[in-house]
Amino acid sequence: MCASVKYNIRGPALIPRMKTKHRIYYITLFSIVLLGLIATGMFQFWPHSIESSGDWSVEKRSVRDVPVVRLPADSPVPERGDLSCRMHTCFDVYRCGFNPKNKIKVYIYPLKKYVGEAGVPVSSTISREYNELLTAISDSDYYTDDITRACLFVPSIDLLNQNSLRVKETAQALAQLSRWDRGTNHLLFNMLPGGPPDYNTALDVPRDRALLAGGGFSTWTYRQGYDVSIPVYSPLSAEVDLPEKGPGPRRYFLLSSQVALHPESREDLAALQARHGEAVLVLDKCSNLSEGVPAARKRCHQQQAFDYPQVLQEATFCMVLRGARLGQAVLSDVLRAGCVPVIIADSYVLPFSEVLDWKRASVVVPEEKMSDVYSILQSIPRRQIEEMQRQARWFWEAYFQSIKAIALATLQIINDRIYPYAAISYEDWNDPPAVKWSSVSNPLFLPLIPPQSQGFTAIVLTYDRVESLFRVITEVSKVPSLSKLLVVWNNQNKNPPEDSLWPKIRVPLKVVRTAENKLSNRFFPYDEIETEAVLAIDDDIIMLTSDELQFGYEVWREFPDRLVGYPGRLHLWDHEMNKWKYESEWTNEVSMVLTGAAFYHKYFNYLYTYKMPGDIKNWVDAHMNCEDIAMNFLVANVTGKAVIKVTPRKKFKCPECTAIDGLSLDQTHMVERQNNCQK
Amino acid sequence: MQSWRRKSLWLALSASWLLILLRVFPVLRLKEPARRQAGSPQGWPHWLDTELLQSFSQPGELLEDGLQPPQAPRGGSCTQGACFDASRCRGGGLKVFVYPAVGPISETPRKVLTSIEGSRYHTASATEACLLILVLGPDTPAGECHPVPPQWDGGKNHLVLSLHPAPCLRIFQLGQAMVAEASPTVDTFRPGFDVALPLLPEAHPLRGGALGQLRQHSPLPGVALIAVAEERGGWRTAGTNFSACPWDGRCEQDHGPKQTHPGAMLPNATFCLIPGRSPDALHFLQALQAGCIPVLLSPRWELPFSEVIDWTKAAVVADERLPLQVLAALQEMPLTRVLALRQQAQFLWDAYFSSMEKVIHTTLEIIQDRISGASAHPSLLWNSPPGALLALSTFSTSPSDFPFYHLQQGSRPLGRFSALIWVGAPDQPPLKLIQAVAGAQHCAQILVLWSSKKPPPPRWPETAVPLTVLDGHRKASDRFLPYSAISTDAILSLDAHSSLSTSEVDFAFTVWQSFPERMVGFLTWSHFWDEAQGGWGYTGERANEFSMVLTSAAFYHRYYHTLFTHSLPKALRTLADESPRCVDVLMNFLVAAVTKLPPIKVPYGPWHQEARPPPLAPGSPRLRAEPQPAAQNCINRMAAGFGHMSLVSSRLRLDPVLFKDPVSVLRKKYRSLEKP
Repeated sequence: MCASVKYNIRGPALIPRMKTKHRIYYITLFSIVLLGLIATGMFQFWPHSIESSGDWSVEKRSVRDVPVVRLPADSPVPERGDLSCRMHTCFDVYRCGFNPKNKIKVYIYPLKKYVGEAGVPVSSTISREYNELLTAISDSDYYTDDITRACLFVPSIDLLNQNSLRVKETAQALAQLSRWDRGTNHLLFNMLPGGPPDYNTALDVPRDRALLAGGGFSTWTYRQGYDVSIPVYSPLSAEVDLPEKGPGPRRYFLLSSQVALHPESREDLAALQARHGEAVLVLDKCSNLSEGVPAARKRCHQQQAFDYPQVLQEATFCMVLRGARLGQAVLSDVLRAGCVPVIIADSYVLPFSEVLDWKRASVVVPEEKMSDVYSILQSIPRRQIEEMQRQARWFWEAYFQSIKAIALATLQIINDRIYPYAAISYEDWNDPPAVKWSSVSNPLFLPLIPPQSQGFTAIVLTYDRVESLFRVITEVSKVPSLSKLLVVWNNQNKNPPEDSLWPKIRVPLKVVRTAENKLSNRFFPYDEIETEAVLAIDDDIIMLTSDELQFGYEVWREFPDRLVGYPGRLHLWDHEMNKWKYESEWTNEVSMVLTGAAFYHKYFNYLYTYKMPGDIKNWVDAHMNCEDIAMNFLVANVTGKAVIKVTPRKKFKCPECTAIDGLSLDQTHMVERQNNCQK
Repeated sequence: MQSWRRKSLWLALSASWLLILLRVFPVLRLKEPARRQAGSPQGWPHWLDTELLQSFSQPGELLEDGLQPPQAPRGGSCTQGACFDASRCRGGGLKVFVYPAVGPISETPRKVLTSIEGSRYHTASATEACLLILVLGPDTPAGECHPVPPQWDGGKNHLVLSLHPAPCLRIFQLGQAMVAEASPTVDTFRPGFDVALPLLPEAHPLRGGALGQLRQHSPLPGVALIAVAEERGGWRTAGTNFSACPWDGRCEQDHGPKQTHPGAMLPNATFCLIPGRSPDALHFLQALQAGCIPVLLSPRWELPFSEVIDWTKAAVVADERLPLQVLAALQEMPLTRVLALRQQAQFLWDAYFSSMEKVIHTTLEIIQDRISGASAHPSLLWNSPPGALLALSTFSTSPSDFPFYHLQQGSRPLGRFSALIWVGAPDQPPLKLIQAVAGAQHCAQILVLWSSKKPPPPRWPETAVPLTVLDGHRKASDRFLPYSAISTDAILSLDAHSSLSTSEVDFAFTVWQSFPERMVGFLTWSHFWDEAQGGWGYTGERANEFSMVLTSAAFYHRYYHTLFTHSLPKALRTLADESPRCVDVLMNFLVAAVTKLPPIKVPYGPWHQEARPPPLAPGSPRLRAEPQPAAQNCINRMAAGFGHMSLVSSRLRLDPVLFKDPVSVLRKKYRSLEKP
């Protein structure tokens, strides 16, 4: 290939002399080039394939090939665990010091196979679910492979089911982890705690200070604000396809689908069914199942067989009773079916109860009230039931659906505890997407009428019309509530007039020179603005009297979250690049006021400058237009409220202003109107 | 030929350049991944035999996890289900009995007793009650504790209430009693069973209480970023540039310019740092009142009413071990969040903490919520204005039924209204008014509340909308009963002698839809402070401002009927019944106390003036002849009943957009507003 290059360099000189041979010459040249191209192409892909096959050999290993660790019988066992642990006592936050972007870093120990002295394995190496869980953490933003920078450590020892491990040896295996240090900052996942006969509600493996993400906590074992209560994953979530069913009344009012229930509960259920007949369906194991049908997928009532979990979609409420363990996988199935869970398990700490508002998706009934459950449920209004059904399904989709969802929600909860100032809000956790889209949270929600004494700051954007500017300044300075006047000098080629030439006014006057002639300069949150109220006024608005402006300020005080402006025709009066005229000028509805003269809260300057969606701000600056429309849309968008127009006529006895038919606008309109704006 | 040759030459040349580039770039490109491989996360390996892995549970294990008899509650731990017998509350809902004080008691417990007795849950009989409250005082010496009351019964259904760290509290065998204690430590607090109270200062007012200090939404540019609570009870403000921990003795010399405030002063800063020790809890309320965002450094006490209040919206709980990071986070906190936290802190102060009555009523409301289960207040009602004490869950549990939450819910009030016409003693059936209202665009129904002694006429005019006659009890407060016949969100309240045009009704309703939480009316009164009398007065004189609208012609939300009937103290309602003019004042007081905003005035044609009933306007000549004190007394007694003057004045009136604009009358939507 290097040869061909040389050839080419000499080429131009040789060609005139080799006229007869030029054809062969060119053919040779082209074939060399072609060959070179092919070779390069090969070279391109060759190393990659070598590399990826190298990856293959590193990553794709068998679980059976992992290193074996033999635990001596006398290796240390961790302490039992401290019930008084809280984040600020047992958790070492200093390890989370380096994490940028308010995100904790999680390290996963490499997988090993632990065997006891006699060579008997401590537990099954890893379950499918735990492998999924660790994969999910590893794929997330939380993961780090650098043990020295990690804030949270997750052992690869599978503790999901206590029945499949040997308690003491597992504890020894935990204790010999390289950063164990009494379990500080270690997170253990467990879904099925305890074992016969007493079924403890938390993992029996001694774990010292380690955090436990456990399914089936009771209030006695749960360390509020330290442990995380997680759901018991239902394998049916992945196995069965269950399309969403809309809310509304269903065939059965109340359904119980659990098979292993205490005889006392069974009696109560039978009594319920006897009393309410068809509305209550109590299912049990099927006694005569044909071969090959998994028991988990069928439920029977007397001789009638039902498909599970499909039958859950036929009921409005579904019972989730306590078995030997508090946490029941049926909860996940019930939520998925959009059936409202009726949780009858005293002292059960519901999954993710630290952040999820279970009142919105479930009914919790004390065990001793089980016989009254029907009347309790009957008293719930229908609309609320439908709301709960929607909420139940949304909880499943967001936090129960997969092992990944469970793992990420757990880490998010811990992350929020460590970085509380960046925590996710109640609404983010609990509101289904439909509500999140339609709701507006007004940034100025506190009903407050700012004191008149504070006054307002007038901002005049000007380019070079000094004479008209001085008239505006003189007029505005007569307004009693004016506290400061700010002139934004947008002309970089010309200096503002000397100090002595400016009109003498009673309030401080400050000239801000801008670096670029941009319309957005008008809406910059200057530090000089010391009041909440801002009056944006063009340098040509000279017809507004001080009374009108003062009244405008009074109106703003009563509606501090809105734009309060004067009619648009003022703006049309003299504006050199005004090519557009609004139809709304003389109609019965107003959705915008022009910012040629308008009062608004300073916060909207901040929003305009830093939080304006998309490239709207750039568009405005590029086209030197529409900045007032952008502002109108911005305010309407964040507050969901319409503007107020003040009528600018002098001869009114009583102060008046004008209301409008409420209009709330959304983002899509904003872009459309932006484009229409310049006709 | 020549050109062809030149072209191909160029082609060859560029191709060879391409080759060189391709030769060089792969090397560069290869280097990139190679380097990343060394430092990038290795990740959890993808096992070859993932498919072969076993599930964590055996088939059937999740179905049958063994049978176990129901657990008995273990000693020392109680939950609402286990230790509280809610069936005793089944009959009439929560009924609360409070043990009377023994001997002389100090100021604070007396206020607590008064507050409980003023609650709508209070009952005088201990047998009827399902919750019995024992109030412990602060200053009883340990030897003379309250004797164990006769109905103690192991503490079942009891609430031991102590607004101060009480020495007696630990002497009691609490057993199954709930404890409502000021700033309980996290270790002894039983979530969902105990109630965490705020630590109140000695002289906390009984009702009303000091308003929050926040006068504006956003912090002023010059205000200090941080105030630090000091041990002796004061506040120390400091600038933004701490080089080290501002609350740790180790770095005392690093403080920026600082000022120390005397104890009683409220901090004037954006954030208030409060150490986690229990005595510092007193600072917490001060910060809330000042609208200063509390930053709690690893608090060892449970935040007040943490069961229902979402403190993450109003305060920052930070780790005291990471001073620099906390400071950096506070400095970099976006303005949007600062605004939200400030306003929420202030709202919580006004809604739940500003008076003893609010604290006690909130406690009872929390217990009521636990008992009522599914019909408890949703979290939104607790955590957004006006707060759960003013948003009754007996009205509805769906936030969009209330007038306050439409924005958050993305909903709108129903687009129709019901006209409720009150016909008093001397009145004739208001036939003309019925026609005018029935013609309104959005009228859904007309309800006539017949409060006259005469029987109602057997026949009513034919109207486009259904007309129902309700039988009143001839009491003034009748008109604000929550009648089940009212089917819409909006109510147009009218008197028989009111006079309105269809156009006025249409426009006023449009305005109400924009302000569903306020009253929208046509005729207004204003209140003023009467120096001569040393009390409040009000007048119907036309003035430049107003604070009340007459309910003889006003739109408001149906919810205010429920609130009027169920939340107002009995004394105030009786007062309203005695003097009918007071009903208007009382309703305006109530709405203003909820919204903290003035009502809204819409245009009212001057041609109605003759029809305006003299007895209803206190400023009119005939009324001046009447003894004024009775009427003026009414507003003062209400101010006392609410604890403060809740009315807010407004100076504006809302008109249609083209009102009196110089355009053709034909283009105006509400043209008859200007001409009768």
